[in-house]
Amino acid sequence: MSEPTGPVLLRFDHASLAYGRARVVEDVHGSVHGGEAVALIGPNGAGKSTLLRAVLGLVDVVSGRIEVLGSTPARARREVAYVPQVDTLDAQFPVSVGQVVLMGRYRDVGWLRRPGVRDRALADDALEAVGLAERKDDRFGTLSGGQRQRVLLARAIAQQPRLLLLDEPFNGVDAVSQQALLAALRRLQDDGAAVVVSTHDLALAHLACDEVCLLNKHQVAFGPTEATLTPELLRAAYGGQALELAGDSVIVAR
Amino acid sequence: MSLLQDGYARRALIEALLVGALCGLVGVHVVLRRLSFFTMAMTHATFPGVVLAALVGVDLLLGSGLFGVLVVLGVSWLTTRPRSDSAAAVGVVLSAGFALGVALLSAQAGFTRDLSAYLVGSIVTVQAGDLVKTALVLAAVALTLALVGKELVFGAFDRGGMVAAGYPAGRLDLLLLLVVELTVVTSVPAVGTIQAVALIVAPAAAARLWSDRIGPTTALAVLLGMASGVVGLAVSQAYEVAAGAAIVLAACGFFVLSVVVAPVVRRRPVPLGVG
Amino acid sequence: MRYLLEPFGSPFMQRALAEALLLGAVAAVVSVFVVLRRLSFVADVLTHTVFPGVVIGFVVAGTSGIVWGASVFAVLSTVLITVLAGRSRVTEDASMAIVLTGFFAVGVVLVSRQTSFTSDLTAFLFGRILTVDRQQLVVTAVIGAAVLLLLGLLGKELLFRAFDPAGAEARGYRVLALDLVLNLVVALVVVAAVRAVGTVLVIALLVVPGAAGRLLSDRLAGITLIAVGTALLAGWLGLVASWQASVNHGLRLASGATVVLVLVLLYGVAAAIATARKVRA
Repeated sequence: MSEPTGPVLLRFDHASLAYGRARVVEDVHGSVHGGEAVALIGPNGAGKSTLLRAVLGLVDVVSGRIEVLGSTPARARREVAYVPQVDTLDAQFPVSVGQVVLMGRYRDVGWLRRPGVRDRALADDALEAVGLAERKDDRFGTLSGGQRQRVLLARAIAQQPRLLLLDEPFNGVDAVSQQALLAALRRLQDDGAAVVVSTHDLALAHLACDEVCLLNKHQVAFGPTEATLTPELLRAAYGGQALELAGDSVIVAR
Repeated sequence: MSLLQDGYARRALIEALLVGALCGLVGVHVVLRRLSFFTMAMTHATFPGVVLAALVGVDLLLGSGLFGVLVVLGVSWLTTRPRSDSAAAVGVVLSAGFALGVALLSAQAGFTRDLSAYLVGSIVTVQAGDLVKTALVLAAVALTLALVGKELVFGAFDRGGMVAAGYPAGRLDLLLLLVVELTVVTSVPAVGTIQAVALIVAPAAAARLWSDRIGPTTALAVLLGMASGVVGLAVSQAYEVAAGAAIVLAACGFFVLSVVVAPVVRRRPVPLGVG
Repeated sequence: MRYLLEPFGSPFMQRALAEALLLGAVAAVVSVFVVLRRLSFVADVLTHTVFPGVVIGFVVAGTSGIVWGASVFAVLSTVLITVLAGRSRVTEDASMAIVLTGFFAVGVVLVSRQTSFTSDLTAFLFGRILTVDRQQLVVTAVIGAAVLLLLGLLGKELLFRAFDPAGAEARGYRVLALDLVLNLVVALVVVAAVRAVGTVLVIALLVVPGAAGRLLSDRLAGITLIAVGTALLAGWLGLVASWQASVNHGLRLASGATVVLVLVLLYGVAAAIATARKVRA
């Protein structure tokens, strides 16, 4: 991976997160530069989704700080895009692919106004970027899981974000869609955006991410991919649910 | 108490106790399975059955009961189809049933009086025969729930596991819906449609706030159901207000009290949702 | 064709028709959201919680007070219900049912202290569309305009929230506030409907048109068009049916109920068409 070229877009400064009185994630520390992709890895319940929500300003930071685009999460939110897991959405909903992507423009269009020519152009470009332009008028639910995930990414791209957060976007996604997702993310990075993606897929992290944050309710490690995805650190993160094979291969139980 | 003096007041009291107990018993399962809206729809959809029974001259309980079975089967079928939106379907059934009943009734004379009686009940005009019917239904329902109560709870909690274990989950679901329908049909003459829902849901929901175990919850629900009846009737007599409504307010009152007091007494916060 | 136009010679029938069409169209648009957001139960609760307001308004200021009383309770109960539903991730149907029945019982208690108990109760619950006057038409038009304006201005945000609440929250929208607005819109329709069809039957206008539209279309625009069309047709045909029944067959059918029955019949037709389509496909 190349050296990080961009400014720091996201910085965790010994941040600990809590829901009400219960602390759920402790001591996350590290930074993400423009043009970089960071994988968020850990077992279920480790706090990956919580961390992403904290970057959006939706979870309390009880000690330390999270700095987003040089400002607080709430103030920076306009330029931060979030891609949820696709199976949280109702497949029967009467909305077209094009309409979903256009939703990414709503915040910038503002209350009381309708999307204009430029908004529609941005939405079309975003759909093009994930390779689904020809499905624009189809109902969202008629697409496969992987294709729907791509549409959600397109929605985020339409927002023209500087920071992109993805919550397990590769779960159960077919190979073609996976390639399309990775290509689109790569293009965003080339344009200077930073990407944080939570995933279980270690091979993908190796392939696409510059840095890895290993999380299991507290930060186990945060560093360059090669140096961080080691058997010892993985075992520490997955707490005995990691199985070491011959040499350095590690199988990780979800 | 003056409640026990007059014949009609005595009958009203006994009916209130019986209906309260019946609704409390069934209510536990309704609350557990989140069937409150469904129960609401049942009270509305059964309305035409009552009207038809009155028109034809058949015994009301029997006539509306038979109609009720049809309604339950219909709604069950509607909500188990794959691409259906059950909330909308239930809403359609609710509307259809009630409108049909109103239309049928409006074609008769005495429209407004009969309609009111159906909506808000008339517990004070209860006859001895009605008491016997209510008591029989209570006995039948109590027996049924005693026999399959644990299976019903299992199904409410883990339907998948139940099917896997070989139980006829679908038939048990249907049985419960029929029991609810029977309860509705029996309670409505006493307290009216909407109020029947209150007696089924509120005491059980209140009881749920005090205990996490089915046995004590059921016992408390029955107790609160009966208590609502007594308190409601007393208030109704004292302040000259509609009896059915007073009973409902008593039941809701117990619920609100439980929401406020139970967490304090049990020493832990309770989410407002009661399951 | 004469048969269908015959009833509307007299001014009171014309007003009844105007009210039915106006109310039906507005309620139909709202019903699309009710169906998409699965708010049927919330809508049902709101129709019952407005009832005590109706009674209090009537007691305090006669028939013209009904809308004011209903409005106050509409706002109060909207806030209560939105807060209750927002407190847990799943709509708590038990608490909703209790709120519904409690409020309704309050209304019944208040009505029972009047001497004209039963006829008042029936009028509030089922409306008297044939006694709608000019003033009521104006009220319906004003409320209808307000509702359509709100939905027009906030439509895209409401759609986004309906489709993807997590995404909407992530984007900085306050989901609770959006829900409050939609619940308020539903409550306003109930207020507008009180005099015409009453609180009990308005639930039909708030659910059935949208449900019929959803059966026949996969696009928001299509669903809305079908919903409005269904409601308009039901209003017109329902009034015709009850008038013809009364005048030509001596059968007194409550007009509001007849409109709802026609509406449900049209839903049945939509369901049949939808099934036929699926079988052919």
